[in-house]
Amino acid sequence: MADSIEEVKKAKKLYMFIGTLLFFFTVITVMVATVEWLDFGDHGFDGVDATIGLCIAAFKASLVMLIFMHLNHERPLIYFVYILGLVMAFFCMWLIGWSKSDPIQFGNETYSDGFYDLSKPATEVHGHGAQEK
Amino acid sequence: MEIPFIVNARKDTGLFNSKVGIWLFLASEVTLFGGLFSGYLFLRLYADYPWPERALPVLPGLINTFVLIGSSVTVVFAWAALKMREWRKFQIYMAITLVCAALFMVLKGIEYSAKFGHQAVRIQGGGPVQDNTIVEGHLHYAKLNEEGLMEEVDKGSKNDEGVFKANRVLVKASEFTFVLTRPSHEAYVEEILKQAGDSKITLAENYQVIDKDELRAGEMNRDQLVNSEAALVAEKGSELSIDLLDELEDAFLEARSHDRKVRTEFLAASWDWIRNEKGEEEASTYVVEKEIWKERRAEDAEKIKVLTLRAPSEVTFKVDPPFTLVLEPSDLVKKVNVGDPSAKLRDDTLVTGNVLPSPMIMGVDALDFRTTAQRAEAEGLDPLPVIEGTWLLTHKGHHDGHDDHAEGEEVDDRNEFKKIWDCHMAWLDVEKARLAEKDREPTANDKFRVNWDQILAYQNLDYDVEKVKAASKDKSLKRTGLFDFNAMAGANHKTPDKEFPDLHFPHLEIPRANVGFESSFTPKWNTYYAIYFTITGLHGLHVIGGALVLGYYLFFGRKMYESNPEWLANRVEVGGLFWHFVDLVWIFLFPILYLM
Repeated sequence: MADSIEEVKKAKKLYMFIGTLLFFFTVITVMVATVEWLDFGDHGFDGVDATIGLCIAAFKASLVMLIFMHLNHERPLIYFVYILGLVMAFFCMWLIGWSKSDPIQFGNETYSDGFYDLSKPATEVHGHGAQEK
Repeated sequence: MEIPFIVNARKDTGLFNSKVGIWLFLASEVTLFGGLFSGYLFLRLYADYPWPERALPVLPGLINTFVLIGSSVTVVFAWAALKMREWRKFQIYMAITLVCAALFMVLKGIEYSAKFGHQAVRIQGGGPVQDNTIVEGHLHYAKLNEEGLMEEVDKGSKNDEGVFKANRVLVKASEFTFVLTRPSHEAYVEEILKQAGDSKITLAENYQVIDKDELRAGEMNRDQLVNSEAALVAEKGSELSIDLLDELEDAFLEARSHDRKVRTEFLAASWDWIRNEKGEEEASTYVVEKEIWKERRAEDAEKIKVLTLRAPSEVTFKVDPPFTLVLEPSDLVKKVNVGDPSAKLRDDTLVTGNVLPSPMIMGVDALDFRTTAQRAEAEGLDPLPVIEGTWLLTHKGHHDGHDDHAEGEEVDDRNEFKKIWDCHMAWLDVEKARLAEKDREPTANDKFRVNWDQILAYQNLDYDVEKVKAASKDKSLKRTGLFDFNAMAGANHKTPDKEFPDLHFPHLEIPRANVGFESSFTPKWNTYYAIYFTITGLHGLHVIGGALVLGYYLFFGRKMYESNPEWLANRVEVGGLFWHFVDLVWIFLFPILYLM
């Protein structure tokens, strides 16, 4: 933690730099979503774009946490509390996996993305470009 | 009371107490938003309709991202200023942070209000997939003409009296039947009376409830009882009012409670009888299935018939002369069509009369056939012919007086939407060929959705397929870019395109029978908007909460700064941690809601 005046002065430069990085990566995220030569995977939005977008977001979030929220040099108790929160958040995400084992079906309807089509193997259902089939 | 360890760290944790507190709070916040993100994921993965990818205008979201990142920097600078004992600088940085918070909320407000004012409708009709075309745009306005029929009015007079949004259902009301078991008529009665004008709404028949004392006296038969003076609650011809309905309701409820008491007494007596007659062992629940019990109850029913008051549970009011009642579609229990003899309100009030032509009139800024295509594919059909056969593309055109085709031109019987679609197909052909060179394919969004900027671009080329083709080929087809402030929060219906003031969003009149599900872009419309409003709404509340706390430090922190600057620095650090968390949530929200 920056406690002495010198350290705080030094930290301010770092904050400025991180702020600039965050701006920069925001622009990159928008470009990945909108500029055609930065459109990875298939044309338009798809899983690849989602992964890149979320990775950039995760990276930006890490910068905020580590530098602005001082998690790069914090006491063990804080890490413990924070990780507990994260575990709970990921637990929530994992919970929706349960719905996979008991999917909602409407009669015999199967939609074009095949999500409800249990006769198909999961890879085919969730695979790339499933919507075009 | 002095709270310990708010300036200096505790020895065992190495932290000042408020920091442990805020981190515990933030951990719970991480879980809260984690749950909501998980909800988003669930809704998206399991959506049974084409998810609205990139449905929100990016610009407000992007500016808001910059604003929040900027404020994260300034709040940490404010803390650093306190550490260096620079009060003035602290004030400046903190003030900038608060301005950023305000700017964020203003942009959010603009975005929300654009959503509330933006209308969508799913058209229902025939065809192999029940049409399912989605049309987006702004509702036009209408009022009643002298004959009590709907007449479109100019947008400028939208605030005039009697003007309503053109998605209302009109019913020529000649009778109202209120259900007295639903004691919540007030709002509707008020509205009915407001709209009735000079029409008189009067009770059709005397409302009579047998007087229980007279009944008990047993001197009159039922007809005499009903017609006796004591039975009269309200006379035929009484004018409709909330008070009158309340009175009728009271009389009805009192009679009903009397009847209930009679029934309960008989039931209890029957139970006693069967217990005493049949012995206790057999008086179980199964007794109700036995003949002896059924016989006894049949006898009871005859007696109850004589002893109960049996007040009518409905009252009918006549309307003279019948007037046009303008109803919001959500006021109705179920959809009605033109010519239907009645419509039922949400409080079960039956409006008898005649459902008048009440088309939905709007300026269209997007056509979306993705659902149609999805359903067609599910049926194993080629989506394009199905789309070509939808009501939107095949209905007879409505001349709105805007398109200025010269006289003597060859008669083109396509409606405006078919023209748009034909242009879109021309554009799509060129786009397909262009992408094929890169070994790519257009998305469902490209293929089946026509956005507002495309509509304007095609219109600008007079809906001429050849011109669209040529312009698409040489890439001169004018489409609004990401950074057009004229369309910051989406299609701008006031000035669709500043460069070309003649451009307008096409006028569409959807007959009531073809209006399927309709809503503004609110949680009602689909699960995307439900989760969008939930998460961004909660996030917005966090911004407001955070700004209030930081504002408190700015405006009331001087005294604390003077007594112990480190104390205030610690407080600002803790407030700043919350503020960074708010920024952090937005870092994820922006891509998932605006870009994906």
